[in-house]
Amino acid sequence: MKLLIVEDESKIGDYLQQGLSEAGFVVDLARNGLDGHHLAMTETYDLLILDVMLPDIDGWKILKSLREAERKVPVLFLTARDSVDDRVKGLELGADDYLVKPFAFSELLARVRTLLRRGAVPANESILKADNLELDLMRRRVTRAGNRIHLSAKEFTLLELLIRHRGEVLPRSLIASQVWDMNFDSDTNVIDVAIRRLRAKIDEDYEPRLIHTLRGMGYMLDTPDNA
Amino acid sequence: MRRPVSLTLRLSLLFGIAAVVVFSTFGWFIEDSIKHHFTVQDISELEIIAQAVDTTLFSELSEDDYASHKQRFDDILLGHHGASLHVTDANGRIVFTSADPDLSELTLLSGGGEDDDPVRNWSDGEHSFRVLTKQLNSNKPLSEQSYTIAVAVPIDYHLRFLDGFRYTLWLMVISGIAITSLTGWVAVRQGHAPLHNIVAQISRISANELNIRLSPDTVPSELSDLAVSFNEMLDRIEEAFLRLTDFSADIAHELRTPVTSLMTQTQVALSQSRNIDEYKEILYSNIEEYERMAQMISDMLFLAQADNGLCKSDNAEVNLTTEVHSLFDYYEAWAEERNVKLSVEGDAGTTGDRLMLRRALNNLLANAIRYTPTGGTVSIHLEQLSSGGVSIDVENPGLKIAPEHLGRLFDRFYRVDPSRQEGGAGLGLAIVESIVKAHHGNIEVTSSESFTRFHITFP
Repeated sequence: MKLLIVEDESKIGDYLQQGLSEAGFVVDLARNGLDGHHLAMTETYDLLILDVMLPDIDGWKILKSLREAERKVPVLFLTARDSVDDRVKGLELGADDYLVKPFAFSELLARVRTLLRRGAVPANESILKADNLELDLMRRRVTRAGNRIHLSAKEFTLLELLIRHRGEVLPRSLIASQVWDMNFDSDTNVIDVAIRRLRAKIDEDYEPRLIHTLRGMGYMLDTPDNA
Repeated sequence: MRRPVSLTLRLSLLFGIAAVVVFSTFGWFIEDSIKHHFTVQDISELEIIAQAVDTTLFSELSEDDYASHKQRFDDILLGHHGASLHVTDANGRIVFTSADPDLSELTLLSGGGEDDDPVRNWSDGEHSFRVLTKQLNSNKPLSEQSYTIAVAVPIDYHLRFLDGFRYTLWLMVISGIAITSLTGWVAVRQGHAPLHNIVAQISRISANELNIRLSPDTVPSELSDLAVSFNEMLDRIEEAFLRLTDFSADIAHELRTPVTSLMTQTQVALSQSRNIDEYKEILYSNIEEYERMAQMISDMLFLAQADNGLCKSDNAEVNLTTEVHSLFDYYEAWAEERNVKLSVEGDAGTTGDRLMLRRALNNLLANAIRYTPTGGTVSIHLEQLSSGGVSIDVENPGLKIAPEHLGRLFDRFYRVDPSRQEGGAGLGLAIVESIVKAHHGNIEVTSSESFTRFHITFP
């Protein structure tokens, strides 16, 4: 998977490149709009991460040229200005997602993965598995090592989210918005409590441990063989 | 749009026009009266002469001897300065004629018709006269005797007087107009002096001196309303300005604390080499601080946008009952862990921005759960008011909030207990208030010994 980052702020650019490379992507970094525009129009990428505010050619222009050239590569844009107009403009120009600075890296990573998956085959399997944990989506039933486990509706949704994104770190804000449709930061530890309860039901009495806490980042469901 | 003509010019013009109308009418009226007066005077003089001539002609005159009566006619004219007379009998013979002027042609002109005005103005080329022409008939029965007379009195001196008078009069009229207009202009300028005063006072006001107020008692009563409204506007601006200044200071302060701790921590960490786990620990601790700052920044941005009316509250139907239930869903686990029960009663819906309303309810609910002691119940009461509005109560048991804190609860960065960092930067309730205000609603808080209640009403 090859990504292009267009970001003029050198530190952010460097760390994004490092972080995404370490997450297993091939990452090109353009430090100004002109280079970014050139690369975006000539090379083939699976995803573009565009900063809106660039000194020469801004993110909107690059996005516009891309769409005019009928390049359908998914675009995620980064903006420091969180205004409704900006969002509407970006989405109208054909951006696929946006993130407002400052953002958590784990959040960016999760969004990048979601965008890359979007074009892929839709997940229509009815049973999700992770090691000896099984989710039957049709019958809303969970078993761990053959034992039936009763989950509430929200717990089931939470587990489904974790298992669909297995191996990915999910920040708390993403979990809150995906499971409970709460699209704002909460200063409570609601997500931690919910995860703890889910863990108590599906993880505590079993081996191996599936749900991992990544301090300062979020939560991840992973199987040992995946590591 | 064109700029309207200045008030001074308008009022001066108005004064001028009024003066022109009044003085001209007045002047015209006086001139006309005097003219009329002279005419009446002349006519009565002419009538008197005509009467005397009539008497002479019919009582004393014998037809054959006109010349012998010349003296008699001269006597008649003697009492009337400059008057002249011309008399002819029915056969056209001249009975009497004054030497000067020659009135003979006038006699012919008279025609004797009833419709003709017997009195008219006439000039012999050198002087002007008022002339009466008349046919006199005998009042004796069977007498066929008749005479035609023309009597003239000079009116030169009247005309001269009138000319002079007219000249003086119109001179006075014009000066009157000029003086009135000028006085008007001065009066208007003077009348505007309080306005200039106010302008001078207002121009002294700057951002640093927002405490200056106009004094409504020292301006004319017409302007006191203006002064009062202006003062009220200043009050509002000053309040907003102070709040903004405080807010900026607060932001600086609130950011300084975490930045200081981050700097210190990082510098201490770098001061000697440590093992991997220690470095990790420091980075983890840093990220928590960063997250807090990031959230504070996004909260402040939200508030700034709400204050500037940038949060357009779209008018979607929002079912508050559903919102409360989904929030309960969200907080269920957390509340259960703290052994706090959640209850809702009533049903209500309103129009507004769903996300914003949900955020407001979220902040209130999180707050309520946080401060409810173990075993307590947070209860939400929804009610659709008969006025069409909505009332929302969020109530939690707990310690009484002191009145001095209560009033400032919605202030930004205000924490009842400054040492407690739990609950974020102290922006939660400020955000609630902003959202409620953006929806034209009202929020108040009451606190008693056993519970605290937030009461929101939406119109």
